[in-house]
Amino acid sequence: MKQGNTIVIDPVTRIEGHSKITLHLNHDGRVEEARFHVTQFRGFEKLAEGRPFYEMPSLMARICGICPVSHLIASAKACDSLLAVKIPPTADKLRRIFGLAQVTQSHALSLFHLSSPDLLLGMDADPAKSNIFGVAEKNPALALDGIRLRQFGQKIIEQLGGKRIHPAWIVPGGVSEPLTEANRDAILWAIPDALAIAERTLEWFKSTMEGFREEISTFGNFPTMFMGIVKKDNGLTFYDGKLRIVDASGHVVADDLDPTQYYDYIGEKVEPWSYLKSSYYKPKGFPDGIYRVGPLARLNVADRCGTPRADQELAEFHELQRTAVLSSFHYHHARLIEILYCIERLEQLLNDPEILSKHVRAVARPNALEGVGAAEAPRGTLFHHYKIDEQGLIRWVNLIIATGQNNLAMNRSVLQVAKHFVQGKRLTPGMLNRVEAVIRCYDPCLSCSTHASGQMDLQIQLVSASGEILDEVVRR
Amino acid sequence: MNSILIVAYGNPLRSDDGVAWRVAEALEGKFPPQHVEILALHQLAPELADTASLFHSVFFVDAAPPGQTTDSTAGQLQIKEIRTQDIDPNQMTRFSHALTPRGVLALTQALYHSFPQAFSITITGQHFDHGESLSPSIVAALPDLIARIEQRIQESLSSGTRI
Repeated sequence: MKQGNTIVIDPVTRIEGHSKITLHLNHDGRVEEARFHVTQFRGFEKLAEGRPFYEMPSLMARICGICPVSHLIASAKACDSLLAVKIPPTADKLRRIFGLAQVTQSHALSLFHLSSPDLLLGMDADPAKSNIFGVAEKNPALALDGIRLRQFGQKIIEQLGGKRIHPAWIVPGGVSEPLTEANRDAILWAIPDALAIAERTLEWFKSTMEGFREEISTFGNFPTMFMGIVKKDNGLTFYDGKLRIVDASGHVVADDLDPTQYYDYIGEKVEPWSYLKSSYYKPKGFPDGIYRVGPLARLNVADRCGTPRADQELAEFHELQRTAVLSSFHYHHARLIEILYCIERLEQLLNDPEILSKHVRAVARPNALEGVGAAEAPRGTLFHHYKIDEQGLIRWVNLIIATGQNNLAMNRSVLQVAKHFVQGKRLTPGMLNRVEAVIRCYDPCLSCSTHASGQMDLQIQLVSASGEILDEVVRR
Repeated sequence: MNSILIVAYGNPLRSDDGVAWRVAEALEGKFPPQHVEILALHQLAPELADTASLFHSVFFVDAAPPGQTTDSTAGQLQIKEIRTQDIDPNQMTRFSHALTPRGVLALTQALYHSFPQAFSITITGQHFDHGESLSPSIVAALPDLIARIEQRIQESLSSGTRI
């Protein structure tokens, strides 16, 4: 603000939560620096102190109204560690089913409801039309597919957990109720339709990519590392495994890392301009230890999916680039392949002969004073780390959320897009939308379950070095 | 086709924003389940358009801060019919993560070619900070609010032609 001009985009629309973007211009009117600010504070780690450990899964699920299941899973796994139990095999599989349903509905929200306006109507579309209503008008079948895929995932969560939002079915030691035959059959019955939606949406997405060459080359298209949990055979997983990190060339930087020892290799830095911490890979330091998590990262670190159709798509995805796939625009593509994988994997798990077993919970008292749970949430790797006292009361909590791990990359992506598209002293809707759209690629989840009060305005100001407002745009 | 859908929405972790959930709990069991379905939601998402298309009438129950209602007194109730002509898809908010009742109805109309009789029932709240408790003025007004909403729905149930 002291030198040059500043453009502020506040709040950023069509993401989960509240934030703003500041673009700092130099005296030539060119973008010099960009910052993605997260302007809200939740403080869940402090709120949990003093609560009994067994309350943690249901309490932590309140962090997010979109992906509560991911927090439930990571939290329950941390509590399993406190109990020092091995959960029954059927409980393990049921938790996986729960997680896959969650990823499906969350990815569907991101792609169909938040990003499809950009993909279908174009980045320069009239802002008044660039929303789900514009999609419904131009391609109602696509909008309907999004709704049906969301319903598919939510219905599974409801059938297993009893309710769609904040279900408390996952508990320390397993799950509270077994799966009924009727619910299993109902989910299996819905799978062909969900699979058909995933298949045709993927084909549609691939057919649009040619029209986004410029965005693909400038939307977070730079070298970073990528991190994700993989199975022992380096296959895709969302529930359990080892951490793997690859560099921009696709070479493995670290393998077989124990997720419960995350603090040995993941550092977090606090910036004065945001409540969102920035994670980095400790051996490379800050900021060189920049890495990305989430769909793009998972497909970059995984050698295979382990299901037939998703494996075909993964092979094609890996052909996009001889190195790791670098452009964050391809988060959308990766998200769709993961949806396909989730539906195929759901079918495999539901047909498992053990899946209706009634033995779904191990019961124990706390046997350890410290526990870590890690899992892949829709947006990336999620860590829950708890310490308790002898009475089982929470004394310390640390949560590392996917969006924080992508924070460095999101900031760098905004800068890259702004440098390429923002020029001059007047702002066009297309410029602004691209700056927002690159953030939407990461599908950041910022406010989680907070209920927005009032209208979500988009305010953009162009301010001169002397403080004079040169241009101002407010979109509602 | 089913009769009436009651959509109570808000965040029960944000004090008075959760008052609609209390209304939903109180109304549970008061109407024949084959005629009235009640949903308690944190936010209105696009898939609600599908559900709404299956009903003759939809009542959206929500809380709003004093500045956003015609009567800023905490605990006041405002019932407004939402008509087809009130819906303009070009005036819709740039969807972030929650729709308005009009947004849900616009999608119902666009995707399912249906427009149920719809009403928004807005309760003026006082405090919207973090917390699971309602403010005292809302607690005091709650029995009367519930009775009035119940009566309004009962009128719709009895009114005939569309139900």
